[in-house]
Amino acid sequence: MSKKISTSENIIVGYKPRRMPIGTALRKYWQLYLLLLLPIVYFIIFRYKPMEFIVVAFKDYKLNMNVWEMPWASTKKEGLDVFKWFATAFKDQMFLKALKNTITLNIMDLIIGFPAPIIFALILNELTAKRYKKIVQTIAYMPHFLSWVIIYSIALQLLAPSTGLLNMIFDNLGIGSVDFLGNPDTWVGTYIAFGVWQNFGWGSIVYLAAIAGINPELYEAASVDGAGRFKKMWHITLPGIKSTIVVLLIMALGGILGGNFDRNFAMQNKLNIAKSEVLSTFVYKRGIKSLKFELSTAVGLFQSVVGVFFLLSANFLSRKLGERGLW
Amino acid sequence: MKKLLAMILVLCMVLSLAACGSSNTEEKTPDTTQAETEKQPEAKKDDTTTQSSGLGETLKQAEEEEKVEEVKEVDVISELTGGALVDGKFPETVTLKVECYDRDGDTPAGDNMYTDYIKKQALERYNIAVEYVPVPRWTEVDQLNNLLAAQEAPDVCYTYDYATIQAYTDMDGVNDLSPYLTEEFKPLFANLWNWLGSAGLLAHRDPDTGAINAIEGKRAEFYRTATFIRQDWLDKLGLAKPTTQDEFEACLVAFRDNAETLLGADASKMVPLSLSTDAGWRASTLIESYLDPNITDKELYINGFDERHYTQNGTKDAIKVLNKWYNMDLIWKDFALYAEGDATEGDMQKAGYVGAMICNYDIPFRDGENSINYQLTQLVGPEAKFVAIDTFKDKNGGYTKYAYTTTGSDRKIFMPKTNTNVLAGFLFLNMITDPEIINYLQLGEEGITFTKNADGSVNTIAADADHVANTINSQYNIDYTMTCNGLHLLDEDATIKSKALSYANVDPADVAEAMRVSSNDAKFAPVVNVGVIEAESGLGNTLSDLRNSGYCKSIVASEADFDSVWDSCMNEYLAAGGQAIMDERAEAWQRVLGDKTMY
Repeated sequence: MSKKISTSENIIVGYKPRRMPIGTALRKYWQLYLLLLLPIVYFIIFRYKPMEFIVVAFKDYKLNMNVWEMPWASTKKEGLDVFKWFATAFKDQMFLKALKNTITLNIMDLIIGFPAPIIFALILNELTAKRYKKIVQTIAYMPHFLSWVIIYSIALQLLAPSTGLLNMIFDNLGIGSVDFLGNPDTWVGTYIAFGVWQNFGWGSIVYLAAIAGINPELYEAASVDGAGRFKKMWHITLPGIKSTIVVLLIMALGGILGGNFDRNFAMQNKLNIAKSEVLSTFVYKRGIKSLKFELSTAVGLFQSVVGVFFLLSANFLSRKLGERGLW
Repeated sequence: MKKLLAMILVLCMVLSLAACGSSNTEEKTPDTTQAETEKQPEAKKDDTTTQSSGLGETLKQAEEEEKVEEVKEVDVISELTGGALVDGKFPETVTLKVECYDRDGDTPAGDNMYTDYIKKQALERYNIAVEYVPVPRWTEVDQLNNLLAAQEAPDVCYTYDYATIQAYTDMDGVNDLSPYLTEEFKPLFANLWNWLGSAGLLAHRDPDTGAINAIEGKRAEFYRTATFIRQDWLDKLGLAKPTTQDEFEACLVAFRDNAETLLGADASKMVPLSLSTDAGWRASTLIESYLDPNITDKELYINGFDERHYTQNGTKDAIKVLNKWYNMDLIWKDFALYAEGDATEGDMQKAGYVGAMICNYDIPFRDGENSINYQLTQLVGPEAKFVAIDTFKDKNGGYTKYAYTTTGSDRKIFMPKTNTNVLAGFLFLNMITDPEIINYLQLGEEGITFTKNADGSVNTIAADADHVANTINSQYNIDYTMTCNGLHLLDEDATIKSKALSYANVDPADVAEAMRVSSNDAKFAPVVNVGVIEAESGLGNTLSDLRNSGYCKSIVASEADFDSVWDSCMNEYLAAGGQAIMDERAEAWQRVLGDKTMY
């Protein structure tokens, strides 16, 4: 096999556009660049300008000064210490616990939650009844539009030990009620399950689109060769959407320290806090509710740097393994 | 080159997420917290702190202080304020944003007949245009923090949590009030001095710098919490009112075992004792009966940062009792799963599923037609009601419980730096403390919201559907009378007589009994000012979260695990700053008071 001939993106192998001096390009395509102007302004104002507040992580916050006027972080004992807030975070047991929880929950989410939409897309793709397929698809999308606060209320109605529907059934069957929401260990299962439930439908859209882009002649050829459904899925569909999977996996790895604030915040209660406190909720409670803006910025910066590191490593690895990666 | 550019772009994108991280979470909070701020009848946040003095003491103090005569001459006022006031008013209308708690009532918290009255008065007296900023009551500290962080805080704020004010002071975010709290300005703010006195106005004066970041509001009454039990259930089962913890437990057991008799088809919904995530507050009478009745002021103060007695000696034993009850199915199984402010518990109480509870002394009576006791008579039967009982004995056989002190346990008022007109803030506070205005805000208009009895006492008329605008925002409109919490009429005799009559739609005798019970063997924690405790700054929220979680986890643990769960939660609490605060408090006490054990 010299060159891959599987997917559409490799069809124009070796084509290199002629380079054009920037001035000529500007003059020739000025309408296009003009169109680009608005997004650029948006990014500068809402994405780049706020970045100056990153320095808060290295300063002592003062309410009545702008970020540049605030004094650099210092401690009473050792004087100037710009990394004070990072040190504070790593000495904080709650932070370490939140860090651990973030990583565990995200990895479990990745293991269970990442393949779910792929499997769903594959199954959906095999359906032939169009109407039925549409209905299933729509129903599967719906949870995506529910806020986590509502999802937790649903969870309470279903899973509360004494009044939850499921536990009442369990009780009547003589199994005894299970503390799905309070017990930290069972809570993790509930958390992952609701995460999958909310996201698998929506997540499958991208894969379905990728599947739709696969050349149908490949399936026909495989059928002629005697391949069954599973063979076709394995040898054509999956390789066809491999690059999409890789891109999404890289992005997911980039968010390994991130996470959804509302999801954890809404599903937290006083009993499961040992497992449900993650960095985003820690930042909110320690940083914003307890008014330690420096600490919250420091933790946010740490999250981002680790995220970038993961993103780059995953991208590097995927390119090494012969995949396209992000760029 | 392309790669490098792409990499830089990605880096920037991810970093920008970091920079927005904090603001993102902030944006999300209103959404999530709103769900928690549902109307909830429990005023569990009406905290008490131990930074307060005995009732008798402050009253005495107030009496000793000479009454300040209000200055009326406009020339003198003009001179005093350096020309800021002309003819006693601001020459140009000054806008003043004022915080008020939003209890999710029937009328908008910042726009009803009472706020209209206040706005009119402020405009007439000082040419101040008042704008109310409603802040949800049950998440007040969070919301206030968000407003302060966004530099959009009201010009005059109040909160029960002094640690929040301290944290903002550390960031130079709070105006120093001391320049206006001098002898010279006394006649201009006569109402404030006459009602709050130096005990309230100067309570937070920094011993070193003399700066004052906040002034203390004052309680007009000291009733705090009581234990309640369903009288009709006791009668049905032929039980007497319990007078000891064992008898109380026997009652709970009887409720549990006779669920079918008491609730019929709803037997599975039986909750002998209900609780909320703020378990320390909702078990206060039980916990306080386990504290040493002869506890020293020093010990109270050192452990006093947590107003739920988390670190006091004896608390663990009290929680162990709750743990036992929980495992005997005597306590609401799901209490810890509902966020603070959730309406579920209140609905259960009103529907008649709950047998007993510990809460603010007036919870069953609050809210007129929506009150628990009134709803019970409607939904269950005319005889159904909660009555207050004294049932937890301390080791000396008394019913020790902590009461509110007049100063130190109420709201603290402060003005953020974003307020550039502190004088206007003070004038407003002085106006809102005017006894006439307090009287009007607490009663409303004769014939519409109250009627007078022959003895001068006052009957409250509950607002009905046709007069929604008359609905008070909070009992006695305490959310508007910022400096005064509790009934405080012009006529002192009438105040006492009116108190029990002031809860519409419920039996005044029950209210009177709850007041008696909650003040029986009441103990007042001392006001201790030994300087600023630096370790406390910004930790109020973190520690109270840990404390609530510690209480909840210990209560729901299996009996065998109780000790280990309690200890690990306590260690976490101490490590997160609890220990540092106690150490600094002990040190400060030693430095200022030496070997004295009583303040």
